[in-house]
Formats: sequence, structure tokens, C-alpha cells
Amino acid sequence: MIRPPLHHRLVVNTGKRLYNSALHRAYSSHPPSARLNVPIDYATTPILHHTSKSALSNPELLTEVRNGTASRQNLFQAVNSALSHALSSDPSVLLFGEDVAFGGVFRCSMNLSSEFGSDRVFNTPLSEQGIVGFAIGAAMEGAKAIAEVQFADYVYPAFDQLVNEAAKVRFRAGANEEQTCGGLVVRMPTGGVGHGALYHSQSPESLFTHIPGLRVILPRSPAQAKGLLLAAIACPDPCIFLEPKILYRAAVEQVPTEPYTLPISTAEVLKQGTDITIISYGAPLYTCSAAIEKAEKDFGCSVELIDLRTIYPWDRQAVMGSVNKTGRAIVVHESMVNAGVGAEVAATIQEGCFLKLEAPVQRVAGWTTHMGLIYERFNIPDVARVYDAIRVALNY
Amino acid sequence: MSVTMVNRLGIARAIATLAPLQTRNYATHATGHGRQRRLNTPPDFSKSSLLHQTPQTFSNTPGLPRGGASSRLNLCQAINSALRTALSESNEVLCFGEDVAFGGVFRCTLDLQSQFGDARVFNTPITEQGIVGAAIGMAAEGAKPVVEIQFADYVFPAFDQIVNEACKFRYREGHTGANLGGMVIRMPSGGVGHGALYHTQSPESLFSHIPGVKVVIPRSPSQAKGLLLASILKAKDPVIFMEPKILYRAAVEEVPDELYTLPLDKAEIVKQGADLTIVSYGRPLYTCMQAIAAAEKELGGRTIELIDLRTIYPWDRETVLESVSRTGRAMVVHESMVNYGVGSEVAATIQEQAFLILKAPIKRLGGWTTHTGLAWEKFIFPDVARIYDGIKELMAF
Repeated sequence: MIRPPLHHRLVVNTGKRLYNSALHRAYSSHPPSARLNVPIDYATTPILHHTSKSALSNPELLTEVRNGTASRQNLFQAVNSALSHALSSDPSVLLFGEDVAFGGVFRCSMNLSSEFGSDRVFNTPLSEQGIVGFAIGAAMEGAKAIAEVQFADYVYPAFDQLVNEAAKVRFRAGANEEQTCGGLVVRMPTGGVGHGALYHSQSPESLFTHIPGLRVILPRSPAQAKGLLLAAIACPDPCIFLEPKILYRAAVEQVPTEPYTLPISTAEVLKQGTDITIISYGAPLYTCSAAIEKAEKDFGCSVELIDLRTIYPWDRQAVMGSVNKTGRAIVVHESMVNAGVGAEVAATIQEGCFLKLEAPVQRVAGWTTHMGLIYERFNIPDVARVYDAIRVALNY
Repeated sequence: MSVTMVNRLGIARAIATLAPLQTRNYATHATGHGRQRRLNTPPDFSKSSLLHQTPQTFSNTPGLPRGGASSRLNLCQAINSALRTALSESNEVLCFGEDVAFGGVFRCTLDLQSQFGDARVFNTPITEQGIVGAAIGMAAEGAKPVVEIQFADYVFPAFDQIVNEACKFRYREGHTGANLGGMVIRMPSGGVGHGALYHTQSPESLFSHIPGVKVVIPRSPSQAKGLLLASILKAKDPVIFMEPKILYRAAVEEVPDELYTLPLDKAEIVKQGADLTIVSYGRPLYTCMQAIAAAEKELGGRTIELIDLRTIYPWDRETVLESVSRTGRAMVVHESMVNYGVGSEVAATIQEQAFLILKAPIKRLGGWTTHTGLAWEKFIFPDVARIYDGIKELMAF
């Protein structure tokens, strides 16, 4: 008998069936008997709108949108829909980036080049500095330039353009109101995806928040993305729009068909609660939601969940109002804890809610290491870590 | 006198009364109106206790060698001394950047090329991405390149090289143990009075959100020499070394002549106190000292402790938390804007670890959330009055 190679013999015996671990991407699957760290069930998560009634009842939508229809879209389809609306309603909208013309590596720009023409939707060379530099110039000349950076990890060559040019245009223009690059939107897929490793997993949102001048927006779902992207395109300030790449296909929900905008710099309370406030944004919200469900059952507590939506300038009022009510707070994000969004939110909460706090503000965030391929799920906060943080806060 | 002379005298007198318009308003403190400035007076570096006015005070600073020869140096001379020492100490040390060969725009590399040759000390083209990229490659091959970015505001084109390459090198190498230790990226940073948008920035907080580099900011010539030598000769990871440019000429003190290093992982308590901890680094430390001196006169015996972080990342949590556990109140002061700055991280950590000890919220005093335009710099950065106000507010909470 020919013995199978060693890796084929490393099977896991569950007693009921054997499965071949080599065919199993161990780094992106959950342990067999997990209670908390089970995969997010996007089909039932309360964060997404599973019915059109739910999607259309969002009070932030205008009446004519709410009286319209909704359709089932995932995140990249919703982004595509928003881009299509923008391109058709405003001739000054341009969309460009690497591989954008054929539809984009995440399909966000599917069919847009064929529909709107290659002088409005086009490819650029492999040069983030050039893409963003060109976008700033185009925006200063009145275009609504939507630049795509293929992965947030690649945005750093454009950092000088964003921080030293785009963020400062309006300040430099002084009394000259016409000179702005407000039409600039830089879109990029961000965050861990399970197999992204060092260069397809980063979440650099906090880096753009330490220089005034840019708005940093991070939607949690298809319906949010459509509204926030349209708002970012219309916004008179340059915006950085980070799209959690793991949600491109995973998050599917009912999205209103009409174009609509959602308010920038406004956080949203996804779930009311009385004992503890969790503040997060993007993909970790789903993790938080799963942890909250288990924690509320196990500890008998009531947890409030807030989506920041805009990382900078962020909605201090909403967050502090919530923590003044609950007295406990946790901030959850993927990027590393030092000097991240959690640091700013925690520092502000302890300033504004000092006498109401019953426990220190905890930060549940990525560990201070790089996102290696096989250890991503230990690095990014998982359900167990958020659940633990809730327990620590309640028992403090 | 001729008519022309009278006219000239008149014009001269007129000019004399108009003289204030010719002074650089934005760089000087306001005078006149018959009132004496009480708080926002220019710092007197020749009397500052943060500087060693004589070698006798070396013993107050842990790590400084005592008993040996010392010279009176300003910050750029101290950096020059450190570079010279490093270049002599190890053949692997290189020194390059824009305008480095003739001595550098701040004279930090004066006479280094003539002494060590142009194979080790040389100019580069104007390309920060190239400067840092080349340094990474050289360090990967075993060299110790000490590169200069001409102003911290210009480091952003090199951001990808620093964050995606330099920071990740040791991680990617895994078990081989290879690292970029010895690579130092030096840059003048911080406000100088007339730097405006592009010669004033303090980007230290941005490099503390990606693991892999150390960020070091010295407060004085003697600190700079020791920390820079440690960064070049001892560090196992790349170091971003930010030199407060306003101190290049302003801060003058005794500096030991010999080779010495200071620890890259310890903050330093530069003034003991019992009732409030102020955490800061770089130039704002001098402003804090002025504010502390003014405030302590009115606090009825209560005292303020001042900590210099020195290494912004990874920062010395132990020292700061130990101090706050004694005082119960904390404030963080820095030039860069408050949002997501070093103050946020320090405040978030203190409230996590010392929650029950705190008698007041931790105050963050940073630059206002705007760009540093030429004319308004002194209103943007925390000045003595703002720090003084912060102290009074915390003490009264």
C-alpha cells in the first residue's frame, strides 16, 4: 500500500466523522467545540436588514426613499449602486484606480466603464501617489474625483498627498472659498479577511485622524455604505472611505433602491442598553453583536452598541451621552491598540464622563503585532475577548 | 540742515514709531499696553533646570557618565558629537540624506564627510522614499545607516517604506533573527516660531500605531547624544529620532565627551512631585516647567511631577503609572493635535490601569485641531498659560 503523505494523515477524529485537515484552511476556521468563537451568521445577525420593511423604516432616510422599494445586495453591489447613482446624476463625477475599468478586484465598479464611458471610469497606473495626487488636482478643478486604492495597505505611498496636500488645501486657500478639494473621495478595502496576511489586512483609519482636514468614514453594511458613500461624494471636505473587505460578499441585506445619503459625523445606536456601552465600527460590530447576545443571556445585562460610522470627526455627543447613561464602556477595533481609535475614544470618555464611570474604559483591539497569515484570528478581537471584556466591566 | 536731511530725520522718526510692524509678530510674545506678561514669557534656557548648566548636575540624570570631561554644546552640536562617535565606533555606520555632506541645514553633520569620507557620509537626491528605502536595504545587509529626513513634515513620502517595509522586516524574517537594528531615521520636528504648514509638524503619534519602530524624542543635548548612540549602536529595531528643531540652538548645556548610551525603554522623572503628574516630551517640557514654577507658587505646598517620555513608542508605562499611583492626577502635554495623539494613548492607558486612584480626569493639552499657519503658531501650541490653567483646573476638580 502506498502510504499517503504525512499531511494527509493528520486528521481530526470527531468520533462521528473524519475530515482532512490539509484541505481545511485551519487559519480561517473555528475550533470544533467553540461556544463563543463560532463564525458570524450574517443571515441572522441583527445588524443587517433582512427584510425590506426593516431597511425602509430607517428614520435617517427621506420619506420618498422610505416609500420606495428595496433589493437584496451585498456590500460590493451596494457600493456599485452608489457609484452608479453618482455617475449618472453628476457629470463631474470621475471614478478611477487600479483595475477599476474591468470591474475592480472586488467588483465594486462592475459595468460602470461600459455604461459611463472610459473618460469617466478608467484605469490608472500602479501608483497610489499618482492616483491620489491626480485625484486632488482633479477635485481642485471641480471634479468629484473618486479614487480607488486597491487595498488600504497600499495607501501609504499616497500618505504625503493626503496629509500634506489634500488635508491642507482648504486651509491654504484662506479667504479664497473656491479653492477646495472637497470633491475628493478615496475608497479602499480595509481590514482582516481571514487570509490577507501582512499586506491585505491592515486598518489604517486612525492614521488619517491625527491631521485635521480629512473625514474618515467606515460603513458597517451595504445599506450604510450606499448612503455614506453618496454623502461622502457630496461632502465639501475630502473623505477617506474604508470598506471592510470581508463584508463585500458576506454582508447581504435589503438596500433601498432610491439614492440616499446618511449623515456623516453622526454615530448610530444599533442597540439600546442600560448597563454598558460598546463602541465600534466596521466588521468588529458583528463580533460585538454576537458577544452581546451571549453575554446578555449569561449575565442578565443590557448592552448598548454604537457604530461610530465616521471615525473622524467623530460623534462625541452620542458616545458620551450613552456612557453617561450606562457608566461603562468598551471600544472594539481591529487595528492595534496603541494610539488607535480606542485610545481617542477612551481618553475622551474619561474626560467627559469621569464622575459617571463605574469601570475603566476597556479597549479590545488587535494585539501589537503584525497580521501574520496563520494567526489572524488570534490577533483581531474575537467574540470571546469582547464577551470577557463585558464580564470584566460588569464585575469591576 | 538741508531739507533732505530734515526729511530723512522725519522719516527715520516715523520708521522708529512703526518699528513694531517690522518685528516678527508671530514669533515674539506680545508686549506693550503697559502690562507685564506674567506667564507667557519666553523661556530662559540658560537657567532651565532641564539643562545641565554645569557638570555637577550630571548625577541628577540617571545614565549620564559623571566625573569625565564635558563640553558646552547645543543640540545640533550634541547630535554632531553622537554621529561622529558612532562613525568612529563602527565601520558599519553610514550617514546620508539631503544636504548632509556640507554639514546639513541644521549643521548636525558638520565636518563628518571630511573626516569619514564620502563613501560613508554623502548626499542623496530629494527623495525621502528613496532615502529610507535605501537605508532599509543597507540595514538588511548589515549596515547601520543613520539617515536624515530634512524636516519631519517631509517624512510622509517615506511612510510606506517605514510602515510596510521597515516595521515588518523583523517579523517577516521569522526565525532567521535578521533585523534592521542600527537603522536610524533622524528628522527635525516641531514648531520653531516661523515654520508654518511644512516645517512645524510633529508626526510622532503616527508611527506609534504600527508595531516595529521605536520613536524617540530627546529633550536636550545630553539626552540627544545618549539616545542617538543607543539607537545606532544598541537598538534591535529601527528608530525614528525626532529632534525638536527649536532646541537646536536654544538648548545649550554641558554634555559628557565620552561615548555613552541612555536606555531606549525608560521615561525619566525630571522633577519630583506629589500631587499631579505631567507627562510630556521634547520642547513642551520647557513650557511645562515654566507653568509648574508659576503654579506651585499658588498651590499651597502641593507639588507637581514632570515626566519626560523620551521614547514615545514603545513607551514606559511602568514609570508613568507608578507616578500617577502616587499623585492621582495626570496631564499630558504635546504640540501635535489632541485627537489620536500621544495624549490619547497615555490617557487611555492610565484610566485603564489606575482607574480607582484617579482624583480627576486626565487632561490632554495639545495643539488645537488646525494646521499651523504662519501667523498663529503661538496660539495653537500649548503655552504656559494653558498649562497653568490646566494645572489649576485639575487641582481644583
